[in-house]
Amino acid sequence: MSLTRTSGSFDAVVVGAGPAGTSAALGLARGGRNVLLLERGEYPGAKNMFGGMMAYCPAAEELVAGFWEKAPWERAVTKRTLSVMGEGSSTSLVFRAASASDRPSVGAGSTSDRTLTGFTLFRPVFDRWYAEQAAAQGVTLLTGCRVEGLVKSGDAVRGVRVTGPDDVIETPLVIACDGALSLLAKEAGLHSGFRTEQVALGVRALYLLNEEEISERFGLAGREGGTCEFLGCTEGIRGGGFVYTQTETLSVGLVVHLDSLKERNTPPYELLERFVSSAPVAPLLRGARLAEYSAHLLPEAGMRMVPRLSAAGLLVAGDAGGFCYTNGLVQEGMNLAMTSGLVAARVAAEALAEGDLSARSLARYQKELKRSLVLRDLATWDRASGLMHEDRLFTEYPQVVSTLMEGLYRSDGAPKQRLGPLVRRAVKDRLSLRQLVADLFRGGRGYL
Amino acid sequence: MIVDDLFDLVSYRTHPEPHIVVDSEVCRGCPHRACTFTCPARCYTWSEERDRMEFAHETCLECGTCLLVCDREALDWHYPPGGYGVRFRLT
Repeated sequence: MSLTRTSGSFDAVVVGAGPAGTSAALGLARGGRNVLLLERGEYPGAKNMFGGMMAYCPAAEELVAGFWEKAPWERAVTKRTLSVMGEGSSTSLVFRAASASDRPSVGAGSTSDRTLTGFTLFRPVFDRWYAEQAAAQGVTLLTGCRVEGLVKSGDAVRGVRVTGPDDVIETPLVIACDGALSLLAKEAGLHSGFRTEQVALGVRALYLLNEEEISERFGLAGREGGTCEFLGCTEGIRGGGFVYTQTETLSVGLVVHLDSLKERNTPPYELLERFVSSAPVAPLLRGARLAEYSAHLLPEAGMRMVPRLSAAGLLVAGDAGGFCYTNGLVQEGMNLAMTSGLVAARVAAEALAEGDLSARSLARYQKELKRSLVLRDLATWDRASGLMHEDRLFTEYPQVVSTLMEGLYRSDGAPKQRLGPLVRRAVKDRLSLRQLVADLFRGGRGYL
Repeated sequence: MIVDDLFDLVSYRTHPEPHIVVDSEVCRGCPHRACTFTCPARCYTWSEERDRMEFAHETCLECGTCLLVCDREALDWHYPPGGYGVRFRLT
C-alpha cells in the first residue's frame, strides 16, 4: 500500500466513497485541500444495492456544476404511487407531476419542475461517476482499502488504520461516511452501536424488462420514471414494499424493521417471494427476468438514533450519522447524505483554516446540520417516523382501508351506506375506540 | 419459486478467510438463533448434528443484520478485506 507512511500529507481522510463521503471530499478539494478518499469496494458503488429514488438535491449542484445534466441517472420520477394492500383488495393514491419528459433533459430543467422530480439510479454506476468528479478536483481515491479503525491520541482522532496494526494514515481530520453500521463513530464513542429497533433491513430483487415495456406498463413517457410503495404487504411485520423503475430494469423489494423481523421468525427472502407474487405486484413483473439480489441496512429511527456527530479530529456524515428516514409517505436518504457531506466539508474547511480541530471547534458541525435540511427534516418527521414503529399500522389499518373501500364499491343488491357506518364496520373487531382515538391523535401530531 | 434463484445471481470475490467468526459456544445457549432466519443471504445454519453454528462467509451480503440481531456478542464481525466480498454489478 503506497499511501501509508505518508503521515501528515493529507488535510483530511474521508472513509467511504458513497454520496456522503464523495461530497465531503469534493467540497474540501474544491477549496484546495488535499483529501484522501478511502473505499473498501473494488470501486465506488461496488458494495451498494440502493434500489430507490434520489430526491432532487440542490447540494449536488453546488459541488458539481450542471450535476443533473451530467450524472448517470436512469429515470426522472414524476409519478408516485402509494398502495395499501388488504386481504381482498388494494387501494392506491397516485401523484403525478407535469413534466416535459419526452426530452432527454427531463428533470434537469426544461419545463418540468425539477424540485418535484426524483431520480432512479444505479449506485455502482452513479457512485463511480461521482467519485471520478471528485478525483478530477484533486481528491486521491484509494479503492479496495478497508479501514480497520481509528488512530487516536488521547480523545483526539489522528488518523486511520488500514491493513495491519502498523499501517497507519495520519491526518488531522477523519470524516466517517462508513455507512449504516457506523463502526467508526461507535469506536470513537459517539454512540454505542445502532440497535435492531433503529434500523430496517432492505432486500431487493432486480428484474430486467425492456424500456418501452416498462414505460407502457407504468404509464410513463420518455425518460419518466415511476415509483410504487406498498403498505400492508409485509404480513404484519413493520415495513413496506416497493417497485421502482429504472431505464430497463425494475427494483422490487421490501424494507422491514429489524426488531420486528426478529420477533416474527420470518426469513426476509420468503417475504420477498410472496410479495413479488402478490396480486398488485405480479402483473408488473410479468415476463421480466430476475437478474440480481441484494440486501442492506437502513437507519430508520429518526432523531432518536442520531449519534453525537463530531469529536476532536472526527466528523460523521451520511447513513453513519443516521441521516435517512421514512414517514410512510416519503423516504429520503441520499439527498441528506450529500447535504451532510457538503456541510461537513464546509465546517472542515473552516476548522482547518483556523488550525483548530478540537472537539469544541468541530461541534459547530452539529449546529450547521440543525440549520440545514438534514436535521430539520429528521426533526420535522420525527413523530411520524416514530409512528412507523406502531404495529397496528401494518396489521389492522391496511385491512380497515380495504374493508372501507370494498364497502364503498360493493354492489350486492343491499342499499348503500354512507361513510360513517362503513368506517364503523371497517374498524369494528379490529380496533377499540380507545386505540383509534389514540392513533388519530398521534397521527395528527405526527403529520399535521 | 424465486428464492433459490436469488442467491445464485449474486457475484462475489471470495477471500479464503471468513470475515466473521462465530463463537458456537455462545450460540449453543442462544434461545432465538435469530441470525439463522433474519440473515437475508441464508449464511447461518444451526447444525444439530455438529451442535454448532455454520457460517457460510462466501455468500455474505455484508449488510450487518447478524451483528445487530445477535444480542450475545457471539460474532467477531468485520467487513471482508478491501476489494473482497460481494460486488453488485447492476444494482
